[in-house]
Amino acid sequence: MGFLTPWFLAGAAAIGLPVWLHLLRRHRSTPLPFSSLRFFERRTQSSVRHRRLRYLLLFALRTLVIALLVLAFANPFIRRQGGAAAGNRRLVVAAIDESFSMRYTGRLERAKQEAARVVAGIGGGDRGQVLAFGSRVRTMTDATPDVSVLQAGVRAVEAGDSRGSYAELARALRSMGQTAGVPVEAHVFSDMQKSSLPPNFADLSLPGSVRLVTHPVTAERVANVTVESVRAPRRVYDQRKVGVEATVANFGAAAETRRAALVLNGREIESHNVEIPAGGRAVVEFANLEAPFGMRRCEVKLSPADGLPEDDLFHFSVERAEPRPALFVEEPNHGRGLLYFRAALEASAQSAFRLEPVNAGQTANLNPAKYAFVVLSDVAAVPAAFEEALKRYVRGGGAVLVALGRMGASRGRVPVSGEAIVEARYFAREAERFETASWLDPAHPALAKSSRWDGVRFYQAVKVEPAGAQVAARLSGGTPLLIDRKMGEGRVLVFASTFDNISNDLPLDAAFVPFVEQTARYLGRLEDGPAGDTVDSHYELGEGRGGAAAEVLGPDAKRLLSLDEAARARSVPLAHAGFYEVKHPNERRELVAVNVDRRESDLDVIPAETLALWGNAPGNPAAGGGVAAEEPRPVELGWYVLVAVLALVLAESWLGNRHLAVEREPEQEAARKEAA
Amino acid sequence: MLQRFLDPATLASISGLDLVAKTVVDGFVAGLHRSPDFGFSQEFAEYRAYSQGDDLRHVDWNVFARTERCYLKRYRGETNTQLMVLLDTSASMAYGSHAVNKLDYARFAAASLAYLANAQRDAAGLIVFDEKVVNYVPPSTRQGQLFRLLHAIEGARAGTRTDFSSPFAYFQNFLRRRGLAVVLSDFYEDPDVIIRTVEPLRYKGNELILFHVLDPQELAPVFRQPALLVDMEERTTMEVSPEYARTEYRQKIDAHVAALREKARAAGIDYFLMNTGRPLDEGLREYLTVRQGRM
Repeated sequence: MGFLTPWFLAGAAAIGLPVWLHLLRRHRSTPLPFSSLRFFERRTQSSVRHRRLRYLLLFALRTLVIALLVLAFANPFIRRQGGAAAGNRRLVVAAIDESFSMRYTGRLERAKQEAARVVAGIGGGDRGQVLAFGSRVRTMTDATPDVSVLQAGVRAVEAGDSRGSYAELARALRSMGQTAGVPVEAHVFSDMQKSSLPPNFADLSLPGSVRLVTHPVTAERVANVTVESVRAPRRVYDQRKVGVEATVANFGAAAETRRAALVLNGREIESHNVEIPAGGRAVVEFANLEAPFGMRRCEVKLSPADGLPEDDLFHFSVERAEPRPALFVEEPNHGRGLLYFRAALEASAQSAFRLEPVNAGQTANLNPAKYAFVVLSDVAAVPAAFEEALKRYVRGGGAVLVALGRMGASRGRVPVSGEAIVEARYFAREAERFETASWLDPAHPALAKSSRWDGVRFYQAVKVEPAGAQVAARLSGGTPLLIDRKMGEGRVLVFASTFDNISNDLPLDAAFVPFVEQTARYLGRLEDGPAGDTVDSHYELGEGRGGAAAEVLGPDAKRLLSLDEAARARSVPLAHAGFYEVKHPNERRELVAVNVDRRESDLDVIPAETLALWGNAPGNPAAGGGVAAEEPRPVELGWYVLVAVLALVLAESWLGNRHLAVEREPEQEAARKEAA
Repeated sequence: MLQRFLDPATLASISGLDLVAKTVVDGFVAGLHRSPDFGFSQEFAEYRAYSQGDDLRHVDWNVFARTERCYLKRYRGETNTQLMVLLDTSASMAYGSHAVNKLDYARFAAASLAYLANAQRDAAGLIVFDEKVVNYVPPSTRQGQLFRLLHAIEGARAGTRTDFSSPFAYFQNFLRRRGLAVVLSDFYEDPDVIIRTVEPLRYKGNELILFHVLDPQELAPVFRQPALLVDMEERTTMEVSPEYARTEYRQKIDAHVAALREKARAAGIDYFLMNTGRPLDEGLREYLTVRQGRM
């Protein structure tokens, strides 16, 4: 017997309470005036001793209640042999691999036939359970002795697109071995794919109560060719034809020749023959992808198909769109900032934004919602209506870049974000003449490609109190140069100087163009994400705010989320290969191409010695042996003790009430007499 | 309806002993059926032969003129007697387990008796005593006698211990006329001693009533746990167990009450146990029964 939480045994000190109450506490009687003691006698003075003896049973009960309560909290357990308790019964688990590689011709069928044969042999008090495993383990049936139920569970297993993971299977078997209460015999029906092994072999360990029997559905390595990856722009903003680069991998022992075709919306637009060396890769380039406007479904497809045709196809999406408008608000006759900013934005290779300049005084009736982002370039004041509209725009997911200079410093606070402006500093009038950007946060998206601003001189800057916002860059004097504040769904980026060449010489520096380009992409939410995701990953929907529902259509064009789930879900799992269409609450649409993890295409099998080692892992019984000596299983006694405590508390209440009833009896008797 | 005003706890909330007495007696009388022995009419009751010492004002001179014999004409409302109330104010009388202690209860009873007697033109007197006579109001029917009595009752305070022999000997000195004597006490003394002390009053033709005033807690004490009791007269202490109080003590107090009642009856003395938890009218009814017997 042991204790799971032995520290609670310290509570046994509470037994002292009834001991003190019953035996040690000095009885104090308050003197009570009485008319005459003529009829009382001296011999009644031993009443305390009398009382002690009388309540001895009550004392014993109370002590026992506390002792058992402490015992219950200490959670005692005894070790018991599970097999001895359950006779010779066992739980037969049939775990069938449903990962993508099981789609290879005939593999899943063989696995299911073998599993059906194993579960058909279950009898004699044994129970069976069917599991399907890929990247996670699914329970197809509960533990049951009914063979027909188990057969139905086996028939229901279908190959998926997920990656196989033996570590997940081992974890599930470990859990079953601890909770089943009987020996577990786990039969694994799989292609024993080598790439499904975890990096750490210890993750496969099984407890002594689990006996592992493997049923490989294939013994030899088979050849397989797959499109491993595709490089293509996610968005296209001009009418030029773009190039697509596909990598084709050959996992076989002989060189293969395939025809690779680029398919756009189901129509083949370009193809090449490619020779892939044995165990090597080849790159195919397509130069003529000219996508019409909108989101387009693209594929790179190999032919002729092999034994695993599903991985001869690689999905990716391309979006052709007009450059998005961005609003540039400036003071009249201060056009130099616009000149530099526009030049830098248009200099980038993919001009995703079109700058629309406007004077600060003309913004009153502007709706910022139609712009990708808004730049406030050193404006002294904007109409209150426009500032309120900007705040709503930012909270709803928009972005504003605020540049502060001589005009902006005349205000007490930064527009939109509201940070306090401490002072405007003119370094040219001070001893140091200028300051430099001494610290830049290279992890900030706006500074990702322009982390060296060593030669940039700042002659003027506005000192802003960041007040909890992220500071991405600082000047040598400690003044925050770039402040990133998140407001609702959107953000406000504050640049503590201007974009002209008066306050600083940044526009003349090489760092300016990448800084403007990255800042625009960051604020316009043009992430450089991959052309697609892999199966088993999750697509982030953003912050679920209740009410704003995202709609997700799966590869089969069915909705993946109910209305309630769509309003609350922050992400959606991508369980199948194909195209997912996401409609965001702000009308933004996205086409997500999802492909199978290409490690599943490597059909190399686990070496026999490794497989034998898994079966003979320490603590695991020999694969060919009988039922192993089981680990004694801890049986917790806490609940039994609690039941005993409950019974004792009831007994204590009854006994205590009985003593009190003895005291009440005379009063009731007197009342009866009086009534009579 | 008025019966509820006779509850001791209600009376205790009334300030002024005269009001208490009036409340008790009026409430009590209102609850009775008509009795020919009450009332203040000039209704003829009887002729009685003159005896020495009788008041000449009551002689019926018309009868004397016709028969040359002296007869006294008596009316129902004038069947006066002399009432002497002996109020024990020993320390033990201050005991009370509820709103009204024994002394208060005895004072209410004494005041009510005085009020009743005054209403019937009876001469009423008062002796307040503990181990000696504390106060004495001679019986009289004079104007203001009731207030003198109530004042004396009002001023009665719990004193020291009880000693029956001294005040009763003193009382015998003052008792010239035959009448009714009422003793209000808790009688914490041996029954033989009590009867022996009060019996001589009976020899002189007095009617004697013993009102044994006891608290409910004295009759049936209830202790939840062992208690340390202090004797209010002797100041001695004793620890008492609830079991003893519930069993042996009750037997002893019951035996004491029974012995006192038995010995009083044997001596021709009326005895009445007044439980301070009960209404006052029971005591008054006992008094009137005895008084009726005297008429």
